[in-house]
Amino acid sequence: MSPAAPDRVDDELWSAIGDPTRRRILDLLLAEAGGTATSLSRQLPLTRQAVAKHLDVLDRAGLVRSTSVGRERRCQVDATQLARAADQLASVGRAWDARLQRIKNLAEAIERARQGRDQG
Amino acid sequence: MEPVSELGSIEREIYVEATPEVVFDVVSSPEHVRQWWPDDARYDPVPGATGEITFGEGADRTVEQLTVVESLPPRTFSFRWTHPAGEAAAEGNSLLVTFELQPSGGGTLLRMTETGFREMGWEVAVLEQRYAEHVTGWDYYLPRIAPYVATLEVRP
Repeated sequence: MSPAAPDRVDDELWSAIGDPTRRRILDLLLAEAGGTATSLSRQLPLTRQAVAKHLDVLDRAGLVRSTSVGRERRCQVDATQLARAADQLASVGRAWDARLQRIKNLAEAIERARQGRDQG
Repeated sequence: MEPVSELGSIEREIYVEATPEVVFDVVSSPEHVRQWWPDDARYDPVPGATGEITFGEGADRTVEQLTVVESLPPRTFSFRWTHPAGEAAAEGNSLLVTFELQPSGGGTLLRMTETGFREMGWEVAVLEQRYAEHVTGWDYYLPRIAPYVATLEVRP
């Protein structure tokens, strides 16, 4: 992450997983190493068609990859894209670690200068 | 479905060998802030004041809005940032950064919290990290989501 893009996270990516239903679908896909709209709809209070629409959104965000199996699409979570979300979070944390270290150095330098003045 | 804003946060703590007064000045006043964060900072460090922080120069220049939320020297300083220009800073359009200072020994314990990330994306990302750490798989740690979720700030 460049310093010119402070703390920004990929909004499109996060919107796709920001929906509780899609979050649940991702959980199921991860837990079962993939699934189809039909298999997912059996475990959710949703029709097959509704699940398929959510899978489309996840597909567009690159979070799932699908392959045709007979008449159905079999979906799997894209670990790379999911890892990107993790990376963004980790980089926000690293950025704050660096800023806090600079705050510490700066405040301690000011404090030492003040004490030096008081003694001199 | 009603959108629910569930917010994830980052928390950090660092011990500084300087008085809370000095540390407060460093985290709040624009002339100090530009030494540890953006290339330029323009705002009044008083509650409600709105200004800008600038990163980079020329074509790479990025300007972010900043609105001071709270200023209680030498204990608390908080601001919102990243909201679109012309919009009032509020929950949902910005990140809230809070510095809390506590006298400790001869120095200050500085606590920083940044809140406002999309909780859902956050949670998935945290899960992914744990997945990488625990190859035993989802059966092992799916039941362990609850303690993590409990640490999230959830607002209806």
